[in-house]
Amino acid sequence: MEFVSPEGLRLDGRRPMEMRQIRAEIGAVTKADGSAVFEMGNTKVIAAVYGPREVQNRSQQINDQALVRCEYSMANFSTGDRMRKPKGDRRSTEISLVIRQTMEACILTHLMPRSQIDIFVQVLQADGGTRSACINAATLALADAGIPMRDLVTSCSSGYLNSTPLLDLNYVEDSAGGPDVTVGFLPKLDKVTLLQMDSKLPIDIFENVMQLAIEGCKAIANYIREIMLENTKQLEYRRGI
Amino acid sequence: MREIELSLNQTQKIRLKRALEKLESSSSKANSNSNASVSISDSIPVNHEDGVLKGHGTLDLNGELVATLCGVVERVNKLVYVRALRARYKPEVGDIVVGRVSEVAQKRWRLDIHYSQDAVLMLSSMNLPDGIQRRRTALDELNMRSIFEENDVICAEVRGIQHDGLHLQARSQKYGKLERGQLLTVPPYLVRRRKQHFHHLEQYGVDLILGCNGFIWVGEHVEAKDDMVEDQVSKPEQQKSNKNSISLEEQEQTYTPIETRQNICRIANAVRVLSILGFNITIEVIMDTMNLSSSLNLDIHEMLGSEFCVLVAEGEAERRSLTKRKG
Amino acid sequence: MLHSKTFVKKTRGGKVNKQVREHYLRDDIYCGAPICKLCDSSAARLSPSASTILVLDTNVVLNQIDLLENSAIDDVVMLSVVLDEVKNKNMGVYNRVRALCSNSLRRFFVFANEHHKDTFVKEMAKESKNDRNDRAIRVAAQWYQSHLGGAARVLLITNDKENKRKAIAEGISAETIESYVKSLDRPDLLDLVVQPSSEDVEMEEVEDLRPSKRKVIYTEHKPMSEITSGLHRGIYHQGKLRVNRYNPFEAYVGSESIGDEIIIYGRTNMNRAFDGDIVAVELLPQDQWHEEKSLSIADEEDEEEDVHLAPSSADDAPRTTNLVQGSAGDTNAVSSRPSGCVVGIIKRNWHSYCGSLEPMPMPAGSGGTAHALFVSKDRRIPKIRIHTRQLENLLDKRIIVAVDSWDRLSRYPSGHYVRTIGEIGDRDTESEVVLIENDINSRPFSSQVLACLPPLPWSVSSEDLANPIRQDLRDLRVFSVDPPGCKDIDDALHCTALPSGNFEVGVHIADVTNFVHPGSPLDDEASQRGTSVYLVERRIDMLPKPLTEDICSLRSDVERLAFSVIWEVTPEADIISTRFMKSVIKSCAALSYIEAQARMDDSRLMDPLTTDLRNMNVLAKKMRSRRIERGALTLASAEVKFQIDTETHDPLDVGMYQIREANQMVEEFMLAANVSVADKILKHFSLCSLLRRHPSPTREMLEPLLRTAAAVGLNLDVSSSKALAESLDRAVGDDPYFNKLIRILATRCMTQAVYFCSGDLSPPEYHHYGLAAPLYTHFTSPIRRYADVIVHRLLSASLGIYKLPSIFQDRPQLTSIADNLNYRHRNAQMASRASVELHTLIYFRKRPTDTEARVVKIRSNGFIVFVPKYGIEGPVYLTARSEKGGGEWFVDEQQQKIKKMDGSLSYSVLQTVRIHMEVVEPQPNRPKLQLTLT
Repeated sequence: MEFVSPEGLRLDGRRPMEMRQIRAEIGAVTKADGSAVFEMGNTKVIAAVYGPREVQNRSQQINDQALVRCEYSMANFSTGDRMRKPKGDRRSTEISLVIRQTMEACILTHLMPRSQIDIFVQVLQADGGTRSACINAATLALADAGIPMRDLVTSCSSGYLNSTPLLDLNYVEDSAGGPDVTVGFLPKLDKVTLLQMDSKLPIDIFENVMQLAIEGCKAIANYIREIMLENTKQLEYRRGI
Repeated sequence: MREIELSLNQTQKIRLKRALEKLESSSSKANSNSNASVSISDSIPVNHEDGVLKGHGTLDLNGELVATLCGVVERVNKLVYVRALRARYKPEVGDIVVGRVSEVAQKRWRLDIHYSQDAVLMLSSMNLPDGIQRRRTALDELNMRSIFEENDVICAEVRGIQHDGLHLQARSQKYGKLERGQLLTVPPYLVRRRKQHFHHLEQYGVDLILGCNGFIWVGEHVEAKDDMVEDQVSKPEQQKSNKNSISLEEQEQTYTPIETRQNICRIANAVRVLSILGFNITIEVIMDTMNLSSSLNLDIHEMLGSEFCVLVAEGEAERRSLTKRKG
Repeated sequence: MLHSKTFVKKTRGGKVNKQVREHYLRDDIYCGAPICKLCDSSAARLSPSASTILVLDTNVVLNQIDLLENSAIDDVVMLSVVLDEVKNKNMGVYNRVRALCSNSLRRFFVFANEHHKDTFVKEMAKESKNDRNDRAIRVAAQWYQSHLGGAARVLLITNDKENKRKAIAEGISAETIESYVKSLDRPDLLDLVVQPSSEDVEMEEVEDLRPSKRKVIYTEHKPMSEITSGLHRGIYHQGKLRVNRYNPFEAYVGSESIGDEIIIYGRTNMNRAFDGDIVAVELLPQDQWHEEKSLSIADEEDEEEDVHLAPSSADDAPRTTNLVQGSAGDTNAVSSRPSGCVVGIIKRNWHSYCGSLEPMPMPAGSGGTAHALFVSKDRRIPKIRIHTRQLENLLDKRIIVAVDSWDRLSRYPSGHYVRTIGEIGDRDTESEVVLIENDINSRPFSSQVLACLPPLPWSVSSEDLANPIRQDLRDLRVFSVDPPGCKDIDDALHCTALPSGNFEVGVHIADVTNFVHPGSPLDDEASQRGTSVYLVERRIDMLPKPLTEDICSLRSDVERLAFSVIWEVTPEADIISTRFMKSVIKSCAALSYIEAQARMDDSRLMDPLTTDLRNMNVLAKKMRSRRIERGALTLASAEVKFQIDTETHDPLDVGMYQIREANQMVEEFMLAANVSVADKILKHFSLCSLLRRHPSPTREMLEPLLRTAAAVGLNLDVSSSKALAESLDRAVGDDPYFNKLIRILATRCMTQAVYFCSGDLSPPEYHHYGLAAPLYTHFTSPIRRYADVIVHRLLSASLGIYKLPSIFQDRPQLTSIADNLNYRHRNAQMASRASVELHTLIYFRKRPTDTEARVVKIRSNGFIVFVPKYGIEGPVYLTARSEKGGGEWFVDEQQQKIKKMDGSLSYSVLQTVRIHMEVVEPQPNRPKLQLTLT
């Protein structure tokens, strides 16, 4: 199938190096300590953070750092077929783990010993790149909850179809079966914290594709930072002195 | 950015926007240079030659001071720290907090005070109902539940952080169990530390406790809390026996007049509105909001409507610009 | 820069399911006209001086692609909506349009109107997809018009009346393709214009001119919905229509639902289906299963039997599964095979065809248009009606014609002229026809492919020698035995007596994979070509010449890289051990079969090389006899060999290919190497090996052989290959050629061996019937067969030398490679045969000959003879063709005899007759070889 036309347009009209439209909103869940909605095109994800709070299961309490937990789920209405999504299937367990590890790596857990941080992410609309959107939403929600972090962590995917590196695959491109590289990136520290790939790629091409995803992460980081700063300013001036 | 979650019509939207803009301009005029907002991983400009003490919310990254929180940079002498806004409660010794009992444990209660852990209230840091200073006996331990049970709301003071967590104390008549009222939770940053956190609003017959942890208590004014506690202690058997069928006498005793209840609700709603708008919650602002609502002859439930919200926002904007001009 | 627009699409995948896709509209899509001031013109394709810019409608692109390929049509804007529609409807046309758009010599610009913010149109309520697309085209045309201002005229070309009307109403200049081409004043182009089918108004007047043709000839195709439901309910059966190569009025549809082939007799039942179409078939009532056939033959025009090469396998042979054709009055034998008729065509397999025009007198007012009938070279294709203005030029030419439509009012499909190949009868033209017909790529290798070659002159480098994976076998006495003049030597042998009395025998195969790396353009090209093609006068290589004839060729006295299989063999020819290795060899002699044979036969020669040859020959004979014991068939084919004049390339002499002991010796060791390699690779890669299998023939397939054998009193046992081999051995008649003839007939009944991916079949199916080997593959000719290249890679991976290329992990792809190889292999064979047929014709053109022939098949009006000397087969008519089946002769089915009524003459099958061969031209420019009794 032709995913990039010879004119250099993708199926949805983007060029290979372009991301979908991104939009973020902080504070979607009032009851949570921190929450955010993150959209990448038609992919829409909501994240809620509870904590740091008392550890629910005492036996899991860690004496020198916080316990980070994450639960990923997909809303039944998130895909076209409205299938009942069983909870805790292999895929969501895996993505939960991926998100937890990514977020844990950037939270300064040692500052909150004997406490627990819960991250709940739910996909409201799935159109490829849910994993990345979840990480971005979780970052925003954690920042909203005032949890100290080493750096922002942002994520973006890229792929390689029709011999072209493509940024931010949507569902159609994702299901083409080509390589799908998801990168989690710390923009300030300039470090990659997450790197996943389905399928195979020669190493030299892989480096290009990964670099593209990193560029995507940087762009998202800039956007997220703007959103957070704006949010902070708003809170501050509304509160008054 | 955080949206205020209200269903507004077009004009209300514009009015709210205008009011918020006004607030923004007045606040930015007030503190244009002293404290700047930062978000995570933004670097904080510091003069290293003066020597810098890095405080909360900062991290040293290759000689660069970097924020780990979203918030406002505060500088106190050499100390540079980031004051987070929306975060859990950060206790300081002497803070007056309101909490809810989450667990009754060995010689202690555990209280949820919106901190990263549950706070501990030792039986020993608690004035006994009989008011006598003595060693706590095993019997006292067995009777702990008669003092505070799970889910009771309690007012206490932060005693300090020990090895096993945050300790509270309630060694005064003004602390203790809170009854006949509402507990409101607001983000802790909206409650500032002040000299006075207990307010007795005589004209309404209402007690208002602004807990530093963002837990706000609005309840019927109680003069002699000890009596009540004593009451319960003295008649534990009776209470257990006829919990469901309360005697007439008791009913009268626990009866709160309808006006007081309405006042409680009104104050609670005023706090809610302020919390939605993200305004500082002080006794003055609460009273202003109260007065505004009663002057408009609004029903209690109408206070949570969008129109009142917009009015409060406009009033607050007006008030702040006035104080600004005066200052 | 991004404008987002989401829209809702409903797709049917069993369920209705709402799909939401993003659709970004952009403002950075440029118009492609260099004269435009607003747009970035760096990617502009249109010419700066274009006075008219064409915007094409989908139907124009779909139908008039041949016209568009003509360089007279230029400055075209291809809208992306049109491209998408074309892609959905016809992938072949889409690829051609894409090629046009990327051709730097042509000025075709693709305008992504669907993503341009001003030209995107949203589907309106109650608007069909087609209408929306038409509107999108008009909007884009209008945009161009206003965008370019007056700088160029924008012309919308559409053959859709409604679209044209609306366009003109909206102020867009629009024309049909016919009127546009007319305005160009290029009469030759008009031939390329596809006539619209009769549904369009304009055609009606043309149709009216031929009132005799107005009657409905074919039944209407069922609508798609009905076909789908019919298939679902099992009333209809879906399958690919295969027309009998030797009888175009008979076709087969392999149906999975019925598990058998459905026979379709006659054009009426075929109902306008072409060979290769995917069709829906309805079964006829059982009582019509046979009757239908005789009806259809009477109905249709005379079938003409041509002289052709004797077929070499069942795949090429006429599929006369049941009775001798046309035996009138023979109705008791009702065919048990289901027959049916086509009710609908699911997917057309139309492409362009080679052939010539049926001779016809020049119409009165020449220069005007004329209707002509085109006869394809491929007999499976019906005649095609075309419309031409250059009849006098085309009559004696080989031309290519494409099919456009076939409506039920006309007996023949209508098409249009595409291009001329050359004059009929001209050897080059006819050779090209052969190549085109068989889809053989004879273009020179592209520069990218040539760039993959190592620099010349090439020699074994010290690195190759130092490479630990490569063994130095230069000291072995390696030699090659090939046909004389062979330049692409891909195999060499050695045989050394060991002190133990055993022999070490080695087969050394050119190490092609050392030069052809997976994924390189060279590899892609080779895998596409699949095999080298040997025509009588030329060879079309799979790999570029430097590799084929020099670098890989195991020539004598030069060091070459090889992939070697080395056995230790007992004097009884039992293989004790097998080793595989990459090696460096130095051949000491490149012998021809004749030389090798001469050396072995010359008892005076005692040099080491001759001794080796003799040793090998002894071993080979033993291996061969053991193989035959296992049941391998000794089959025969009637291969012929031409001697070609080096100057004129005309054939000088023709004769049967002679097989010597030396040939068999080499063949034996190649077989052994292939079997050893097959074992090895299957052991390592049980799911992704490329093997070759030969399916056992069914009894049905052997039926013609049995009938013929029975007629001459021969009883063949076909229960197993061994039984068949033995009874073939016993079939010794009174004349020396009898046995070979029977063998030729037997060979003809079998299908060809095919390549397959081992994961696709179960191990019992791997069997190779003809060789009686449980496993077989091709390893020994990597220079000329791509299958061997793949096997080389598998073998080196199994030895751990190289990693297995990733393609092997993808079974569907491996299967598709195997399918392509089978297709190419078959086409290459067909092409060689066609080339031989062509040269036979050229040879006999100047040499009318009398010769001996054998009757192989009895017909109602004559018989088919096989001419052993020239390997050809053709009909001998006893009666003139006009009085077909006219009572004078009658056929004895049981005895396979044709007798004159008065009993004075009779011919029976396998009888020897003397015939006269002569090239005649019954019609100008249509030479054919005619066989008559002398």
